[in-house]
Amino acid sequence: MRRVMTVAVLAASLATLALGARRDVFAIVGGRVVTVSGPVYDNATVVVRDGLIEAVGPGVAAPPDARVIEAKGLTITPGLIDAFGGVGLPSAPARGGRGGGGASPAPAASPAGNPLAPQAFALDRVRPDEALKARDQGVTTALVIPKEGVLPGQSVILNLSGEKTEGMVLKQPAALHLHMATLTRQYPGALMGTIAYARQALYDARAYREEWAAYDRSPRGRKRPRYDAALEAWQDVLSGREPLVVTATRENDVRRALALADEFKIKVAVAGAPQASRLASLIKQRSLPLLVSVNFDPPRAATFFGAEDEERERKDIEEAQKNPAELHKAGVRFALVSGYAASFLDGIRKAVEKGLPREAALKAVTLDAAEAVGIADRTGSVETGKIANLVLWSGEPLAKDAKVKMVFVDGQLYEPDERPDRRGEPSPSPSPEVER
Amino acid sequence: MRAGLAVAALLLATPLAAEPPIAIVGGTVLTVGPQGVIEKGTVLIQGGKVAAVGANVAVPPGATVIDAAGRYVIPGIIDCHSHTAVEGNVNEGTESVTAEVRIADVIDDKDVNIYRELAGGVTAANVLHGSANSIGGQNAVIKMRWGKGPQELLFEGAPRGIKFALGENPKRSNFRVPGTPRYPGTRMGVEATIRQAFEEARDYKREWDAYEKKLGRTGGDKPLPPRKSLRLEELKDILEGKVYVHAHCYRSDEILMLIKVAEDFGFKIRTFQHVLEGYKVASEIARHGAGTSTFSDWWAYKLEAYDAIPYNAAIMAEHGVVVSLNSDSDELARRLYWEAAKVVKYGGVSEPEALKMVTLNPARQLGIDKRVGSIEVGKDADIAVFSAHPFSPDTRCDLTLVDGVVYFDRAKDVAARGQVGRTAGARP
Repeated sequence: MRRVMTVAVLAASLATLALGARRDVFAIVGGRVVTVSGPVYDNATVVVRDGLIEAVGPGVAAPPDARVIEAKGLTITPGLIDAFGGVGLPSAPARGGRGGGGASPAPAASPAGNPLAPQAFALDRVRPDEALKARDQGVTTALVIPKEGVLPGQSVILNLSGEKTEGMVLKQPAALHLHMATLTRQYPGALMGTIAYARQALYDARAYREEWAAYDRSPRGRKRPRYDAALEAWQDVLSGREPLVVTATRENDVRRALALADEFKIKVAVAGAPQASRLASLIKQRSLPLLVSVNFDPPRAATFFGAEDEERERKDIEEAQKNPAELHKAGVRFALVSGYAASFLDGIRKAVEKGLPREAALKAVTLDAAEAVGIADRTGSVETGKIANLVLWSGEPLAKDAKVKMVFVDGQLYEPDERPDRRGEPSPSPSPEVER
Repeated sequence: MRAGLAVAALLLATPLAAEPPIAIVGGTVLTVGPQGVIEKGTVLIQGGKVAAVGANVAVPPGATVIDAAGRYVIPGIIDCHSHTAVEGNVNEGTESVTAEVRIADVIDDKDVNIYRELAGGVTAANVLHGSANSIGGQNAVIKMRWGKGPQELLFEGAPRGIKFALGENPKRSNFRVPGTPRYPGTRMGVEATIRQAFEEARDYKREWDAYEKKLGRTGGDKPLPPRKSLRLEELKDILEGKVYVHAHCYRSDEILMLIKVAEDFGFKIRTFQHVLEGYKVASEIARHGAGTSTFSDWWAYKLEAYDAIPYNAAIMAEHGVVVSLNSDSDELARRLYWEAAKVVKYGGVSEPEALKMVTLNPARQLGIDKRVGSIEVGKDADIAVFSAHPFSPDTRCDLTLVDGVVYFDRAKDVAARGQVGRTAGARP
C-alpha cells in the first residue's frame, strides 16, 4: 500500500477537486452502499468529514467543501474488522497444515514474548508498517494479540491509519487473552494444567484485589501490599470491565471457557472455535461472544499415529470450513476472524463457499465483529456519526473477483497497490504531506 | 475402527422422557451381592435403579422385556485404573507435584473408547492422571454415558481422588526428555518430593486453621485470608482425609515407603495401583487398610516389573486386601472379564470372588459401592448381559445399561455397521 501522496495523484483522476475542497472532507457519490446496519442504497452518497461519516443516503448532496469521489459501479461497505489475529505482529514461521508453508520466510528477529504474561501489551509489539499491509485486503480495524503462549497478554484494537501505533489505537487494552494451549518444558504442559493455571491466577487476582482494597480503606498501621503487574492485569476481567477471550481449538474448550465464567463471575468470549457449531444452542443460550476463525488448517502438534490422525485432520478441516455456515444456520451471531490465517479474505471466501451467505459473511466481518469486541457504537457499519472506515469494491464485496479499490480509515483515503510484486514490501518513507 | 466411531455415533442412547420399566428375564444373574447366583432370574429396572431381583419377580404390564434366556446378567464392570476420555496430555509432567490439575476439566466425551468399553460391559471407570509425577492430578470417576456431555459423564457424588506415582515413572527413568532432567531422579528423591509437599501442606493447613480461628473471634478488623493455593489446598484435603490416594507403584520397598510416609503424616493410601510386588508385602498393605488394583498377568515390560507373578491378586486377597483388576488401557478395558478369569486359573480364586475384582471391589475402592458394583435392589441399574459366562473364552457382551438406559446393544451395532458403510461410503 502506498501512501496518501501517491494515492492523491491517482485520486485526482477520479475525484473532482472542487475549489476550496478540504483534505479531510470527501463525498463518495454514485456508488452502491451496503450499510450492513440498515438498507442497501443504490446510487447513494457517503459524506466523510474529519474522520467520521457525516451523512449517508441516496438523497444526500455533496457538500461544497468536499472532494468528490466518483464511485459509480463500485460498492461501498464498512471497513472489514479482523477481530482476532496477528495483524502487525512479527510473523513466526508458518508451518501450515500438512506440508504447508515450506517456503515461508524466516521469522522476524523478534524474541518470543513471555508465554505467561497477562500484563504484556500486544500494542508494544505491533509494527505499524506491518499492520498497514492488512488494508490491502480491506481490513480497516484489527484486534491484535500474539499467537504464542498461554497467557499472551492484552490485545489492542487498531484502526489501520496513520504512521504511529499510538494514533491507530481504537481500544487499549481491548481484552485479556487465554489460549487453551500448552507449553513445552514449562508448566502448563497439559490442557488440564492450563486450566489449573488460569484458575489459580484468578484466585490470586481476587485475593490481590481484596488485599489492596483493605489497604486503601485503612492504610495506617498496615503494610503496603506488593505491586504485581500480572495480577493487576486480571483486575479488569474480574470487575467485568474487560472480557477474557479464550482461544478454543476443541469443542469442549467452549464449555471450559463458560465454566471459568461461571466459577469466577467473569465475562468471556471465545476465539477460534472451529467446532463451535456443535454447541450452537448452548452458545446462543449463553449469548457468548464468538470470534470464529477462518484459519481452517492451522499447524498441528505432531502425534504418533500418522494414518488415523491424517484422516481426523481432514475431517477437522472440513468441519472447520463448514462451521461458520452451520452457526449461521443455527441463528448464532458471530464474528469471522482471521485467526492468524495467511489470507483473511481467502478464509472468508472459503466459509462462503461452504455455505455461509455472503451478506452474513459481510456482517460477520463488520458489524457483528464490532459487536463481539465492544466497538459497535463507533464502527462496523455505514452510519452517520460512526468512524469513517469504508471499503470501495469493484464487483461483489468478498467475492473472488472483487477488488479493493479504495479504503477509508479514520476518514483518510488509501488505495491498495494492485501490482502483485509490490505486495508485502515495506512502505516507502512517509510523505510529509500526510503527516499530521 | 473409524467405522466403529460412526456406528457408535449412530447408536447414541436416547432415553424416552418417561421410561417404562425394563425387565431382564430368564438369564443367569450373577448378582455379586447377597443374593448370589440366580438361575432364570429377573432383574426389574425402574427409574434407572434396580427395583427387584429374583427368580420370582412379577413383570409389570408395559415393561420393556429383554430376554436373557441362556445368557448371563452381571453388574457393570468397573475399571479402577483408566485414562479413557482425557483430552490433551494425561500428564502435567512439567513438575513432579501437580495436585491442582483436574481430570474433570478435560473430559473428552467424544472419545470413542467410551463406546468400545461399553461393548466390553464396562459402565464406570476411575480416570486418572498419568504416572509421571510423584503427586499427579485429581481423578474423575465417570460413568460410560456415551453421548452425554463431559459434565454428565461424571459419577455424581463419587469421593474425590488423586494420583500418586512411585518408582521409574516419576523419576523419569524410561523417558528421554530434552533439556534439564526434572527432579526427582531417584526413588529417594520421589520420597523426598512427597514428604516435602506434605510438609508444605502442613504449614499451609496451620496458616489456614489460624486464620479461621481468628475469623471466629468477634470485633476488630476482619483479617485477610492467607493465599489460597489450589495445589496445597488439595494436599491439605488429603491430610484431612477428604481425598482418596491412588498410588501407582511396583516394588515392595516403595510400597512400604509410601505406607510409612502416609502414616507419618496421618493419612491413608486408598489403593495401590499396579502394585506388582504387592504379594511380597500383602499383610503390610492389609494392615494399613489399603486396597490394591493390579494387572492379572502383565510382567517384565520394565525393570521394576520383573518380579511380577500372576498369583499376585490371589495372594493379596488371601491376606485380606480388597483387590481389583484394572486395565490402564483403552484396549484391555474392553476385556476385563477375562482378566478376572485369569485369577481363577492362576490363583485358584473362586469365580464369584474373581468377578468381584472387576465389579464390587473396584466400587468399594472408589467409594461408590452403595450405588454400583452389584445387582441389588436400590442400586443403579448398571448392568451387562453376556452371551455366556463372562469367564468363558467364547463369551461376548450383548448389552450394556447404565442407569437403566441401554448404551450398547450388540445387535443394533452389528446392524448399523452396514448402514454406516453405505451412508458414509467408507472403505470396505
